Amino acid sequence: MKNTFTLILFMLFVLGSSGAWAQQRQVSGRVTASDTGEGMPGVSVALKGTTTGVSTDAEGNYQIQVPDNNAVLVFRFLGYQTREVTVGSQSTINVNLATDAQELGEVMVTALGITREKKALGYAAQGVQAKELTEHRQPNVLNAMQGKVAGATISSTGGAPGQGTKIQIRGINSIDVNKSNEPLFVIDGVIMDNSTSTFGQSADLRGMSNRLTDLNPDDIESINVLKGGAATALYGLRGANGVVVITTKSGQQGSLRVNYTGTVGIEEVNKFPDMQDTYTQGYSGVYDRNSFWPSWGPTVEEARRLDPTHPEKLYNHFKDAYEMGHQYRNSLSFSGGTEAITFLSSLSHFRHEGVLPFTNYENFSARLNTDFKISDKVRSGANFNYINSGGFRYNADRFNESLSYWSPRWDVKDFRKPDGTMQSYGNDNPLYGAATNRMEDDVNRFIGSFHVGYSPVSWLDLSYRVGLDNYTDDRTRTAPGPRGIADERVYEDNEQGFVYEYTTKFRTINSSFLATANTKFGENFNATFRLGHELYDRRVKGFGVEGDNLTVYDYFDLRNARLLRSTQTQSDYRLMGIFGEASVDYGNFLFLTLTGRNDITSTLRKPNNSFFYPSVSLSYVFSDHLQLPSVINQSKLRLSYAGIGKDASEYATSSGFAPYNSLPTGYTGFTRAALLGNEALKPEFTNTFEAGLEMAFLDNRLGFDFTYYHSLSKDLIINIDVASSTGYVRAAVNSGKMRNRGVELVLNATPVRTESFTWDTKLIFSANRNKILSIREGLTEIPYASQFGYVGSTVTMKLIPGQPFGNIYGSHWQRYYGPGEEPDPLFIDTDRPIVIGENGFPVRAPLTSQKILGNSQPDWIGGLTNTFTYKNLSLTSLFDARVGHERYNQMGNFFSAFGIAEYTENRNEFKVFEGVLADGTPNTKQVWLGQGIGPDGVGYGDGFYRRFHRGVSENFVEDASWVRLRSLTLSYTLPNSWFEKTFIRNSSVGLTGNNLILWTDFSGFDPENSATPSGSNVDGFAGFTYPAVRSYLFTLNVGF
Amino acid sequence: MKKLYRYTLAFLLAGVSLGLQSCEDYFDLHDNPNLVSSPPLNAMLSTATHKTGLNSQRVAATTSFYVQYLASPVAGNATDTYQVVDLTGSWDAIYLAMADIYDMKQRGVEEGASDYVGVANILMAYHLNLVIDHWGDGPYSEAFNNSTLTPRFDSSQDLYAEALQLLDEGIAELNKTDSRVTLSKADDLIHGGDKTKWIRTANAFKARLLNKVSKLPSYNPAAVLSAVENSYQSNADDAQMAVFVDINPWAAVARSNTSLVLGGWLSEQLVNHLNGSTYGVVDPRLTRITDPTVAGTFVGTPNGVGNVGPANNTIRDEVYISRNSPLTGDLAPITIASYAEMKFVEAEAAFRAGNRQRAYDAYIAGITAHMNKVGVPAGERDAYLSNPAVGVGAANLTLDLIFKEKYVVTYLNAEAWTDARRYDYQYASFELPANADLSTFIRRIAYPQGETSKNPNTPDSPVLSERLWWDQ
Repeated sequence: MKNTFTLILFMLFVLGSSGAWAQQRQVSGRVTASDTGEGMPGVSVALKGTTTGVSTDAEGNYQIQVPDNNAVLVFRFLGYQTREVTVGSQSTINVNLATDAQELGEVMVTALGITREKKALGYAAQGVQAKELTEHRQPNVLNAMQGKVAGATISSTGGAPGQGTKIQIRGINSIDVNKSNEPLFVIDGVIMDNSTSTFGQSADLRGMSNRLTDLNPDDIESINVLKGGAATALYGLRGANGVVVITTKSGQQGSLRVNYTGTVGIEEVNKFPDMQDTYTQGYSGVYDRNSFWPSWGPTVEEARRLDPTHPEKLYNHFKDAYEMGHQYRNSLSFSGGTEAITFLSSLSHFRHEGVLPFTNYENFSARLNTDFKISDKVRSGANFNYINSGGFRYNADRFNESLSYWSPRWDVKDFRKPDGTMQSYGNDNPLYGAATNRMEDDVNRFIGSFHVGYSPVSWLDLSYRVGLDNYTDDRTRTAPGPRGIADERVYEDNEQGFVYEYTTKFRTINSSFLATANTKFGENFNATFRLGHELYDRRVKGFGVEGDNLTVYDYFDLRNARLLRSTQTQSDYRLMGIFGEASVDYGNFLFLTLTGRNDITSTLRKPNNSFFYPSVSLSYVFSDHLQLPSVINQSKLRLSYAGIGKDASEYATSSGFAPYNSLPTGYTGFTRAALLGNEALKPEFTNTFEAGLEMAFLDNRLGFDFTYYHSLSKDLIINIDVASSTGYVRAAVNSGKMRNRGVELVLNATPVRTESFTWDTKLIFSANRNKILSIREGLTEIPYASQFGYVGSTVTMKLIPGQPFGNIYGSHWQRYYGPGEEPDPLFIDTDRPIVIGENGFPVRAPLTSQKILGNSQPDWIGGLTNTFTYKNLSLTSLFDARVGHERYNQMGNFFSAFGIAEYTENRNEFKVFEGVLADGTPNTKQVWLGQGIGPDGVGYGDGFYRRFHRGVSENFVEDASWVRLRSLTLSYTLPNSWFEKTFIRNSSVGLTGNNLILWTDFSGFDPENSATPSGSNVDGFAGFTYPAVRSYLFTLNVGF
Repeated sequence: MKKLYRYTLAFLLAGVSLGLQSCEDYFDLHDNPNLVSSPPLNAMLSTATHKTGLNSQRVAATTSFYVQYLASPVAGNATDTYQVVDLTGSWDAIYLAMADIYDMKQRGVEEGASDYVGVANILMAYHLNLVIDHWGDGPYSEAFNNSTLTPRFDSSQDLYAEALQLLDEGIAELNKTDSRVTLSKADDLIHGGDKTKWIRTANAFKARLLNKVSKLPSYNPAAVLSAVENSYQSNADDAQMAVFVDINPWAAVARSNTSLVLGGWLSEQLVNHLNGSTYGVVDPRLTRITDPTVAGTFVGTPNGVGNVGPANNTIRDEVYISRNSPLTGDLAPITIASYAEMKFVEAEAAFRAGNRQRAYDAYIAGITAHMNKVGVPAGERDAYLSNPAVGVGAANLTLDLIFKEKYVVTYLNAEAWTDARRYDYQYASFELPANADLSTFIRRIAYPQGETSKNPNTPDSPVLSERLWWDQ
């Protein structure tokens, strides 16, 4: 094997060639990073205006031949500012590269691993580098991206260990609730599954992981987010919601390097709802220490007169039930290599104990990335990642619901009797539930890929990659049965004891082939043509056996169950794309790219299963073309247009009969399948137009990147929920049109830059406006989700033409309209007086009047990162905001129904409700808010809160806007001089606080969380969620 | 190195050819591996009969509070106090069962399986009756047949006429002798493949329907009596279903209650009806329905009031649904319609027709049959029958007595609520539940959220005290 240039050189300089090797002399030097002071391996050192270049070795050293003294060297590295140095007479040139606050000079990994200079891109793409991803020590990679990518809405569904996180790019593109709107994740060229499986009884409420959680954030080198149609066109329909391209770290030539990172931290619930602490257990003001009703009794003082054992003060059972969580992660990586082989290997272990007792998560990950240079013309490589992850998950919805029933007269922490059965005065003890009603998942995953590249001649490159993402996800649900002890109380959900075993086998094979040809014509034209083929083949098979009625109450073995039920599901999906791209640049300032792709999918029927879509994008780097004032640095204008198709969910075109599984063993039956399939389904199409402007000023110390996009989706495929009178639960339809329009802004600045002190700041802002333009003919609305509320306060999310996705509909107070005045059919008018009934209480409008009470999609989101660096000390803060959206607070509804909310303190007061009578005259009638017979001798029945307040959805759809100090990290790089005579190369320590401050008007837990799993498009419900946490972490990093 | 080239080339070609070569079949994945396209009729029969049995219990689990067989242990319970409760679960179960029955009928017609067509008609009529009794209008003519995603609501009267017609057609189908497929004994979970019993059930359902309109001018007691005559001849004919994954759903309620997951508390109304408090005679069926309290007494719970103690809810000082009862034991069948009930339909129709002797004979026969069904020994049974408050003689028979006795026979059956409304809740000492949400007795169930939100044709639900068409 011959030693010539490295693989990196090869990749960077495939464009054309012109041999100028005469009369050269050698220049050498070392490239160091301004942030660490260390030598930088892999920096591209190129001779400006030529294709000659080298890259630095593991210590940052380089040697290059230059033709003469006028030669200019260009030093370039991802995430750092590019520097140009005129050689002059120097023979040694040492260069210090500053981190890049302004990213225009970057090289981006775009679709299919194609590396392109950012300036050539005619669409928006945003990168996040390793340092930004890991500095706040978020265990889930998606959380690490929060507040850093314009246009990406990223939400934790809750604070449970390993709990799923959702990501949405540029809003909702597809309206099927059961179909993911999440972007495609591609890791080192292989599609990585990020689904959130809810397979298994109650798994949808147990905060299951999104599969990206498996990834060790410390393994990641960079993440690039491709947002619009033109950016993702080559990925085909799977990239229709955007693409997140993840590149993991790779080894560098040189001696073995070892890096250790350890993090340890603690956490607590960041926000609790306000609760009343005056009234105790009972009903109608009558004390009963065994009552089901937790808080409709008399005051504590009155109760204490009747029951001397009553505690002096009520417990705060919500705060008592949660505890302090903790976590630690240890990551170790080894890297090194020779010219022929480089490798990086990492091991990581993460353990997390949640704030909800008995919940935890553990992740073990091992990785090996290798690259081979077989000859000048052939390169190859293979990546392997093995992950074992999982833990005990609990149903936070149930936990908080049971807490709402629990009377604070009793200590919830006293949940177990000495004999091990549930301790309770009557109601189910939530902590006993968490301790005994369990679910554990255990995922074994292997992601591997192999690639080979062949470059027979300098203008042609062929590459092929095949990848496998394979895992088994085993889930075990258990609960002990009753023991038959006298006075034993059985936790309701535990029933007669059960053991359920589930297994999902997931496998994808992803193969892609890409041929690239470069050519140059004329003085100023360069062209690149690509042709490719991609295949994606997925099989998911799940099966489970559910055993009920245990004989030995705590022996969790299927053979110990009296009843066995089985469940099984399988789905296969295949997709093939053939695509081409032509990009032409003129004078290195005008770049035009055309793409086309044809997909064939297995989820639609002929002839609808094969479809073509094109894209075109243009980048005009006007700063390189026009003579601009020197204050303006590199700046460009972007324009693009793309059409992108999307297929259906598996089997949406088929109907049939499913096994009827409510019969015992010995009987079989079939029942009509829940879904009404539609053989005539067509692909849905989204056409996106995008324009952008990027500019940099003042020596790149100030810059912005502004994007506007407009996308129109039509023939949306949706499995709509249908009334059971159709005989189906859902029906597959092509249903109407939807529009998204939005802006994205990234602002970078370096307000201060001195020798020892730097202040970098970065602001991201994005706003998306969605509108359903039309739905299927014959339908007036498409309901897609609902959540329970007491006596008519159930809320529904539905699509109505002219309105955006995310609207929350529900019941509302009746407003007064005079003669001839018509109420708005969709919205309530909160400025109008509420109608008060003859009984003196406000009137609820008829339940058939369901109006828009809010919308779950934010008006805008923003993130502000500030980094202050003083010598070796660095402080980074991240403020994150999501403003202008609402959530239905189901917990609030229960807090009203059970007299828990702080505002119910007024229950024994008289009140004249503000409003008018049916005839428009002001209400003057005084009423009592309590239960039973009031002091005025009038019977008030169940009382105001239970009779009226809890039954009106309007009271519980709340503004969920928030601003938070997402993260604050202080890190200190220990001076290298400390380690001069040791084997340690470098070391740093860091202190991080996550979720330190939250500003919101929402009355429940942190409104970022949602009651639906991370794979769901439904985000309007934030009641009984696993509460978010505030965490404090300490990190140590040592390099050897 | 040569080897590696070769492998690489092989990989490359494999990838490309895999995609390009046999696209035709490779992308043809339309057969959902989770479904079958045409299950055999017997596998549709097991589903249809099982769902019918469960649905009869499911509906009764709500309406048993309205007729005060049951009372909630919790004060102010929503169902107990006539609040609007969302019965999407019951509604969906009824409509999805009708879809299965519809499919079975279609398949039966295609295959010339008249037996299956007949049974499908009868089961469909049963479900239509549930819709008529609880909600009134309901989708049918555009339902389950893929014609629309928003079926219109047919009027209660039309559903009523359709149900009667389905029963007549069902009887005609079952009378055919050339069914290409005979009823599967093992998969008919109601009558074990016995066509005669199915015909009797069809007539029993017909008798119920015809008797339902007792308040309307169209009421024809002679037609009721004719249907009754063709219905059950003994307890052995009863339409019941006893196949459960676990145990009888009422027994499951009782089991949970034992584990202090409270439910299945018998109402004071029912218990006093049986224990002598209301009528001065102890009904021997009391001990076959429930178990005594820790004090050896029989105490019910007043509706709307919740646990009255005196002890707290962990002490069994009131009575509940019992796993020891032949009606609600672990293996007890769910009774859909019974011979005993038919005897009371006969008694009522005959009484209204002025035939007191026939009415009285049926009245006695009905009590006797039910006593036998629940295993009351002959001595106790006859003692009860000869009690002057019961064995009043034909001349002294009243509608009140007929309804009073039928109330026991329809224990935990959905038909009881229909009777209560026809009778205007005139049972002795029957009162509104405490803190009732309505000022008069409940007369209907609100359309469920599930249908309302997805089918804009769903009518507005009036206040629940408003009477349905047949109850006017």
